[in-house]
Amino acid sequence: MSRRRERAVLALLLAPVTLYLGVFFLVPLATIVVFSFLTPGLYGGVEWSFYHWNYGRIFGWADGITEVFEPVYLRILGRSLGFAALTVAICLVLCYPVAFWVSRLPERWRALFLFLVTLPFFSSLIVRLYAWLLILRPSGLLGEGLMALGLRSTPLELLYTPVAVVLGMVYVMIPFMFLPLFAAIDTLDRAQVEAALDLGATRTQAFLKVVLPQTLPGIAGGAVIVFIPSVGNFIVPDILGGARGLMVGNLVEQQFLAARNWPFGSALSVIIMTVVLTVLLVFVARLRARGA
Amino acid sequence: MRNPAGWLLLTALSLLFFAFIYAPLLVIVGYSFNANPVNMMVWDGFTLDWYRGLFGLRDRTGDALSRAAYVESTDQLLAALRNSLIVAACTTAISTVIGTATAIALARHRFRLRRLYEGLMLMPMMMPDIVLGIGLLIFFVSLGMQLSLLTIIIGHCTFLTSYVFIVVQARIAGIDPALEEAAADLGASEWVTLRKVLLPQLAPGILGGALLAFVISMDDLVITYFIAGTGSTTLPVFIFGMIRRGVKPEINAIATLIILASVLIAALGLWLRSRRIDR
Repeated sequence: MSRRRERAVLALLLAPVTLYLGVFFLVPLATIVVFSFLTPGLYGGVEWSFYHWNYGRIFGWADGITEVFEPVYLRILGRSLGFAALTVAICLVLCYPVAFWVSRLPERWRALFLFLVTLPFFSSLIVRLYAWLLILRPSGLLGEGLMALGLRSTPLELLYTPVAVVLGMVYVMIPFMFLPLFAAIDTLDRAQVEAALDLGATRTQAFLKVVLPQTLPGIAGGAVIVFIPSVGNFIVPDILGGARGLMVGNLVEQQFLAARNWPFGSALSVIIMTVVLTVLLVFVARLRARGA
Repeated sequence: MRNPAGWLLLTALSLLFFAFIYAPLLVIVGYSFNANPVNMMVWDGFTLDWYRGLFGLRDRTGDALSRAAYVESTDQLLAALRNSLIVAACTTAISTVIGTATAIALARHRFRLRRLYEGLMLMPMMMPDIVLGIGLLIFFVSLGMQLSLLTIIIGHCTFLTSYVFIVVQARIAGIDPALEEAAADLGASEWVTLRKVLLPQLAPGILGGALLAFVISMDDLVITYFIAGTGSTTLPVFIFGMIRRGVKPEINAIATLIILASVLIAALGLWLRSRRIDR
């Protein structure tokens, strides 16, 4: 096939995606960045003039006249990062031993349990969160159950707390942590573990020096895949969170649909985007460094 | 495993883990058959009333739709379901074509910007939903586009193309290019090689990608929430609205039906994959 002909075919194959993602992905992202530097209009619109106070309100260089610095935004940002990190940690602790267990099962059972882990991914997010609403609300299954067993005398107050938010996020993120972990654990060189044990290493040593380093890529991959959707999450805190579980995603939603301050909402989104891109870049750089 | 007691403990822990995943879903299914209209917690006998209510049927007392009055009307629910199906069908078609074309381009051609495209394809999957949702909202509103099913379809394709791409790319990596080279050497045109050699081998991957796109599109809440107009509510957005207004037995019935549908779809996916391995 001629060189020119091949070029033409390649152009034909790549044209749709280039156009599509260019127009409907890159342009919208750029629009957010532009909007975050615009002046909020009086009645919900925007004025096309440069305005840096959207960020000043959040990070503290507001002058107190045009815009007021409100530390609550930094607190909510910090909370979002904290919740996401906690979600990653809990998912990891829950999934690691189970992934290990599944990888050691006979073939038939392995397939079954792997299927059982992925199944919730196919079932509706909103339905899975609704289930926890039923369980956690004061007159819900957990509260009534504990009272019936005489373990509590007052209704349970778990719903609309940070605990409920992290629990909900862990629940919906489990498949994303499990699969990369499983892939890493399943390809683990078991002979090396045996050798370490034969040579007198304790179980803890064998785990720390042999198993952990080999499964590190899976851990890192799972952590990134769980962290990113958690940090900008707004559905979980919306349904289970209440005021004390408010995350930056809720702030963005409020700015766009209730307060109608689009530039400020855009500034918050740019911060989420920056966090996500930073995490991704660090991850990719590390991956390259390992590969090299 | 050298330590039987340890293995037993691990097994117990793992079974608990699976109970943790599935118990909440079973709670919904159980509640959906509970006749007690006041307190869902107290079992008051088996009923199908909540399901009857969904389909606009009368309950046992002949009190038409009284209990189900919460589902403002069955029409709204069915309209939301119809919207979801339309969006998912269109999205699946578009994203499957674009995603497959891209996967073929990146796997079978060497060019300078390949790395860049690989990164670009991962970005929409990695961008948090809320960022993509408001980006599209600002974009559509700035262009003066009315929010509708069309805007939802456009929005879904931006990230589902990437999902199809990933699935098809994984499949294409396992296909030996020698067969295509042979076809080309024997005088088949690029188009014939693609249609008669590559695509048939790729079909299970394309089908898998399409199925994944369909399921994710049906379930997408966050992005749709921002770019759905008043008349273009999809099923997840509709249910989200109901839940925000309070817990009601009808939601249990809807949720149970959705769980049932997703189990069937997942089983279908599994069946497709096992067929793929058999070949």
